[in-house]
Amino acid sequence: MTSSGRHNRADRHVVALIGNPNVGKSTLFTALTGTRQKVANFPGVTVEAKLGTTNFENTEFTVIDLPGTYSLAARSPDERVAIDALLGRLPQTPAPDGVILILDASSLDRNLYLGTQVLEYGLPTVIALTMVDVAKDRGISIDLEKLSAALGVSVVVVNAPSNLGVAELKATLHRQLHHPGKPLELPFPPGLRQAADDLYQDLCDLSVDLGYKPSRPEAMRLLVDTAGPMQQEVREAGGAAFVEKLEQLRNRAAQGRSLALQEAQARYGQISAWMREAKQTQASDARTRTDKVDAILTHKLWGTLVFVLVMGLMFQSIYSWSGPLMEGIEGGIGWLGEQVVSLLPQDAAMLRSLVGSGIFGGVGGVLVFLPQILILFLFIAVLEDLGYMSRAAFLMDRIMSRFGLSGRSFIPLLSSFACAIPGIMGTRVIEDRNTRLTTVFLAPFMSCSARLPVYTLMIGAFVPGQTVLGFLNLQGLVLFAMYWVGPAFAVPTALVLKRGILKSKVTPFLMEMPSYKMPRLKNVLRVLYERGSSFVKRAGTVILAVSIIVWALLWFPHSSQVSQPFENQRQAATEQYEAESNRLANGYKPGLAGADLAAQPDVEAALQDVAELQETRAQGQQEDQAAFGHDPQALAEAARLDEAAYVATLQELKRRHKQAFDAAMGLNEAQAKRDEVIADADHGESAALAEDSILGRVGHALAPAFRPLGWDWRIGMGAIASFPAREVIVGTLGTIFSLGSEVEAEDASLRDHLVAAKDEDGNPLFTLATALSVMVFFALCAQCAATLAVMRRETNSWKWPIASFLYMTTLAYVVAAATFWVARGLGG
Amino acid sequence: MARTLAQLKPGDIARVSDVTGDAALTQRILEMGILPGNDVQLVRVAPLGDPMEFAVLGYRISLRKSEAACVQCAEPGAA
Repeated sequence: MTSSGRHNRADRHVVALIGNPNVGKSTLFTALTGTRQKVANFPGVTVEAKLGTTNFENTEFTVIDLPGTYSLAARSPDERVAIDALLGRLPQTPAPDGVILILDASSLDRNLYLGTQVLEYGLPTVIALTMVDVAKDRGISIDLEKLSAALGVSVVVVNAPSNLGVAELKATLHRQLHHPGKPLELPFPPGLRQAADDLYQDLCDLSVDLGYKPSRPEAMRLLVDTAGPMQQEVREAGGAAFVEKLEQLRNRAAQGRSLALQEAQARYGQISAWMREAKQTQASDARTRTDKVDAILTHKLWGTLVFVLVMGLMFQSIYSWSGPLMEGIEGGIGWLGEQVVSLLPQDAAMLRSLVGSGIFGGVGGVLVFLPQILILFLFIAVLEDLGYMSRAAFLMDRIMSRFGLSGRSFIPLLSSFACAIPGIMGTRVIEDRNTRLTTVFLAPFMSCSARLPVYTLMIGAFVPGQTVLGFLNLQGLVLFAMYWVGPAFAVPTALVLKRGILKSKVTPFLMEMPSYKMPRLKNVLRVLYERGSSFVKRAGTVILAVSIIVWALLWFPHSSQVSQPFENQRQAATEQYEAESNRLANGYKPGLAGADLAAQPDVEAALQDVAELQETRAQGQQEDQAAFGHDPQALAEAARLDEAAYVATLQELKRRHKQAFDAAMGLNEAQAKRDEVIADADHGESAALAEDSILGRVGHALAPAFRPLGWDWRIGMGAIASFPAREVIVGTLGTIFSLGSEVEAEDASLRDHLVAAKDEDGNPLFTLATALSVMVFFALCAQCAATLAVMRRETNSWKWPIASFLYMTTLAYVVAAATFWVARGLGG
Repeated sequence: MARTLAQLKPGDIARVSDVTGDAALTQRILEMGILPGNDVQLVRVAPLGDPMEFAVLGYRISLRKSEAACVQCAEPGAA
């Protein structure tokens, strides 16, 4: 029997969960619904709602967890979500037939402001009163019966972490839902009330054009909120005439006193009347505990010191301590990929490459970000729970506000110096929409760790390691300067953004400073799980798709014509090896086939001896390096001694079995020669295939566009191929310069190849000017598919990642070109 | 003498007399309980001189100096 068969329609209900920020709403939501939740996104909005289900007897409740808010007066589309959800106007989200209103007993007055707005809608409502213990500590006691009588709704004391009151809340809700609620009537000044009622009538007449049926409290909102989203809607639906009528109503109601003030006074007047009945306050020292801590944590010297230490620890963990985890994940995924590839048929080259590079490369590219994301959110969750996030913002706001940001932008931007992805995900702590979007846009400008390989390669190859100003190493100085290129351009970008598209008349800071609380492990784990799985599920698919697309662009057309000459080289090398081994075998024992030479007992023994000897030598070199690595002289001496011992043993072997030994050495030599030719052919083939690939052809076609940057098609193609991630350029350059894709940024041979590379006219391809232009380009470009995917996820729109990519690429191009020409002019 | 919250010294308590300035900002300040007749105490100022932390209605809120300057106030006990 299906569940829909067991329950009739009346046994399913939808409940909205609404309350101020920091009142334990998420904890209650989890206590109610457990892990049975999903996330709902809405167009044009960067906040999201969570949906979960819970059962009571035969009733199934769908619970909608709305973003925390202090008021239903919406000033941005994000703040509109709560009201739209209450009225059932959100896409793919059922209309609630009841409300759980969460109120924090320790600051009940302010919590009830939102409460009065919610109760005006008249939906069946139950109040979940949280933080009663905190309130008690502060000497506040609430008379539940009187509060319930005053508000006309049931009140249940809830302590979600210990599950106290959760069952009672469900039972009360179940009862309440069968009794329709009564809209709360507030003592508004008669002029305001009358104007709102008149406006309500007019709005009802406009409902066809508006596309929805307005409610009575919404008329009040439109009347008071002169800059709300509804203003725009009625302008579109009702035209200038309606707006004029609205203005007349506003003037009539105001009579010299601002409507917002009239509204707030009416609500808070009613609240203090209720509180005189239901609340008693005694002096207490609870708040002073937080004050004592704050005296240190917001102190000029100690507070700054603690802040620097906490931020330093956080940055260090994201930047360095995540390293081994990231390497472990990359290594593990790489190993797994190799295992899977080895199961595929040998001749299915395309499938093997797709699985190995495209799919496993992409999966690794997604999972590799998890350590940094989880570490940052571990810090954010603990600091937020603790109440320190508000203090950090309090300390930093002065500095950040100069750039049009807020104190809460600091942590996301700081973490972006390690990686923009956790940084952008961390912007959720910023409440103001425009400040959040600006911070998201700026995060990729911070110099993340993926740029480091590019800098290492270019600086190592082209910046002389000389000392300047007596004590500074020029290479170090250039690296340091590169870290400031991004932030230097982020500042004007921020100022332009905040004065341009993201302009809001005011970006209020207005931040609640909660009391310090002990973080709860369960809460922290929930945040880590949510953020981690959201990244993998939502951003992960985009990153994987990009990885596969770029793989395809680098693979196709994969013409056999391109491969043929290299196949011939390999063939020739193999044939030559066979001829050589036949010659050696014949010399050893006339008539012996080359293939059987290695199996001759003497030769086999000699081969084994030589292999062992070489292994011993390699081991000795490693041990010397470990023992004397700090002392070049001792190291050279040890190496000399080891080498002498090696040669002596080799001579000894040769003396004992001359014939077998010569055959073995000859065989080794022939094999090494064959392997070298084959490896060269393989690398040459990869380079030729890359040049012939779609991406290579695009690189050739765009060569004129790269010229102002001082680049040829190879660097340009490398830059395009590194769209999934900046550090990919190192491997791509390795492929193009016929070294294979496994090269590292510190690799001397790649460095030498870059230094030796020539352009079409035979001049050096890379000069200092070219290297600087490459570095500046990578400092400013948005070459990171993962960042763009997370940006889309966090802003819930492709608009922002596309704008970011276009803006940063243009900026990177222009500044890199300018760098090139200036550096060349100066003789670089 | 008419003052604003931005001019208080840490520890000072003042009674709000009016909130003026940009409509959207004023509305936010009012909604948070900083409205005529309520007492507001300046608890502390951030190390760099801005923002400021206030106590109102039994909770704490921080406002930038420019926001605090929108709130006119008088001695506590005044009307």
